[in-house]
Amino acid sequence: MKKILFITSLILITFSACEKPNQTDLTLNFTQTIDGAELTTNSMIYTNSAGEDYDVQTLKYLISDINLHSDDGYTLLLDEVHFIDISDASTFSFTIEDVPNNNYTSISYTMGLDTIKNTNNLYINESYHSAMAWPETNGGGYHYMKLEGAYNNDSTFYNTHTGGTMGDDYSFNNVEDISLTVDDDLGNVSINLNMEINNWYNSPNQIEFSSYGMGIMMNMMMQMNIQMNGITDVFSVDVIK
Amino acid sequence: MKKLMYLVLGTSLLFSCKKEGCIDPIALNYNPDVHINNGSCDYFTTTPYDIITPYGFPDMIIPEDNPMTIEGVQLGKKLFNDPILSANNTLACINCHMPESSFSDPNQFSTGIDGFLGNRNSSALINLGWSSSFNWDGSSTTLEEQAFEPITNSLEMHNSWNNVENTLNQDEEYLLLFKQAYNIDYIDSTHVVMAIAQFERTLISNNSKFDKYSRGEEVFTTSELNGFAIFNSEKGDCFHCHGTSLLTDNLFHNNGLDSEPFLDFGLGNVTKNTSDNGKFKTPTLRNIEVSAPYMHDGRFATLEKVIEHYDSGGHFSSTVDPLMKKLGVGLNLTNQEKSDLIAFLKTLTDYDYITSE
Repeated sequence: MKKILFITSLILITFSACEKPNQTDLTLNFTQTIDGAELTTNSMIYTNSAGEDYDVQTLKYLISDINLHSDDGYTLLLDEVHFIDISDASTFSFTIEDVPNNNYTSISYTMGLDTIKNTNNLYINESYHSAMAWPETNGGGYHYMKLEGAYNNDSTFYNTHTGGTMGDDYSFNNVEDISLTVDDDLGNVSINLNMEINNWYNSPNQIEFSSYGMGIMMNMMMQMNIQMNGITDVFSVDVIK
Repeated sequence: MKKLMYLVLGTSLLFSCKKEGCIDPIALNYNPDVHINNGSCDYFTTTPYDIITPYGFPDMIIPEDNPMTIEGVQLGKKLFNDPILSANNTLACINCHMPESSFSDPNQFSTGIDGFLGNRNSSALINLGWSSSFNWDGSSTTLEEQAFEPITNSLEMHNSWNNVENTLNQDEEYLLLFKQAYNIDYIDSTHVVMAIAQFERTLISNNSKFDKYSRGEEVFTTSELNGFAIFNSEKGDCFHCHGTSLLTDNLFHNNGLDSEPFLDFGLGNVTKNTSDNGKFKTPTLRNIEVSAPYMHDGRFATLEKVIEHYDSGGHFSSTVDPLMKKLGVGLNLTNQEKSDLIAFLKTLTDYDYITSE
């Protein structure tokens, strides 16, 4: 009897020793707001800083090189390229399972694709290839963003299409400080990466649809102005534990 | 123990007196009456049909349960060309999808077996293996599913699947061909559409002047180059829907053909979502020169009329695509620019494709 008890307790000890610690799953959510409120598509309820009423009908964009960085120099790649389409809820988030324990102090990401990635047909078998392709004759590669809708009380359309133009790179990389210590007790966590849409048109460069709504794909000055606005205050990061 | 050994020996001796043959139940010539395998088993095999991905194309989407085989493709082609699928044996797929018209119908609407006209223009069948939605309204998501429809449509082949199956199962040649392609003894609707879909996946156009230009084998004329530039700029802004090597985004748009109320809801009819009303699938522009007339209802007889539509800017409606950003303003192309654009569109004609047997 004693023997059985001994064996049983040995088995129990062995099993509990093998039991995995609580793992941390990290979900990255891509959210969009206008003036701080969650985006509602096809609603003529927004006003840009030039005083133009507008709505959003189409929004597709690529965020690449999404990395977490820890204070001991460790980098965790969350995704190489992620495509977000506001008409497809399956693109709004992705989850990384079993994030290694560490003290993560920043997250970095690129709006669009850098020069190395922004190559013609590089993502030919991805779902976004045809929706985001940028004509080879205009430098090739992919749109970083397609933001489209109507302004001026629904009577006129605007298209804000950003991307590398004739080989020039207008993508930008942001690094945001975060406080995220992953340990055995943390449980699941999410990070929201929000795009404040109005800020593409506000500061430091005020952009009016009436002047630039017809398309800016080959307008390098406008690509640069929008890039500057993007770097300034379009994106923000929130860690939700 | 000894007794048992004798028994085993005796039993095996008894069996060895039986006939030899194929004892594998999955073999074609499996014989349940034989017990000795003599290596004669003959298994079902097909010959793989290799799809070579053309330059600039993604990998083709091929369903796992319907792999491409030479036997399947040949059978699908025979079915595509055979009026046996129609109720009165008068109309085949090919009659409304003619190779010389890039597998479409030069008539605005096609005539079914009862003399009735449809209400949409027959789609050109080109590079369908790279699409995941079919028909102008996206009512099918696979080629197999699509092939079910015209055979029973009362405006088209007006048959019943029951009748199709009965007819085909009385045909010795089809019985053999289905056996060779799919190893079935009874021909059912599922395998009919699978074979047709296999054939349709072989309808690949990638040898137009545009392709040769892309591969660096031929040069464009000045007019074609100008047209290509207009096509790819925000001036003509054709490429946002007709981009990439496929010359289509395979998505659905309302390109401002009509104001409301719409006569045909298109995608909205399928999704029952009013915000999809008036949206139709972007057709590829490959072979556009030979696949007139144009638009879902074939309303434009010539490419010139298509260009006029976009040049005028189109009509406003609640679902018109924001890419039609010059609504009410128009592209305002010059006559030279229009003819350059048409010169470019004609580089998309693949003569090998439209003359292929």
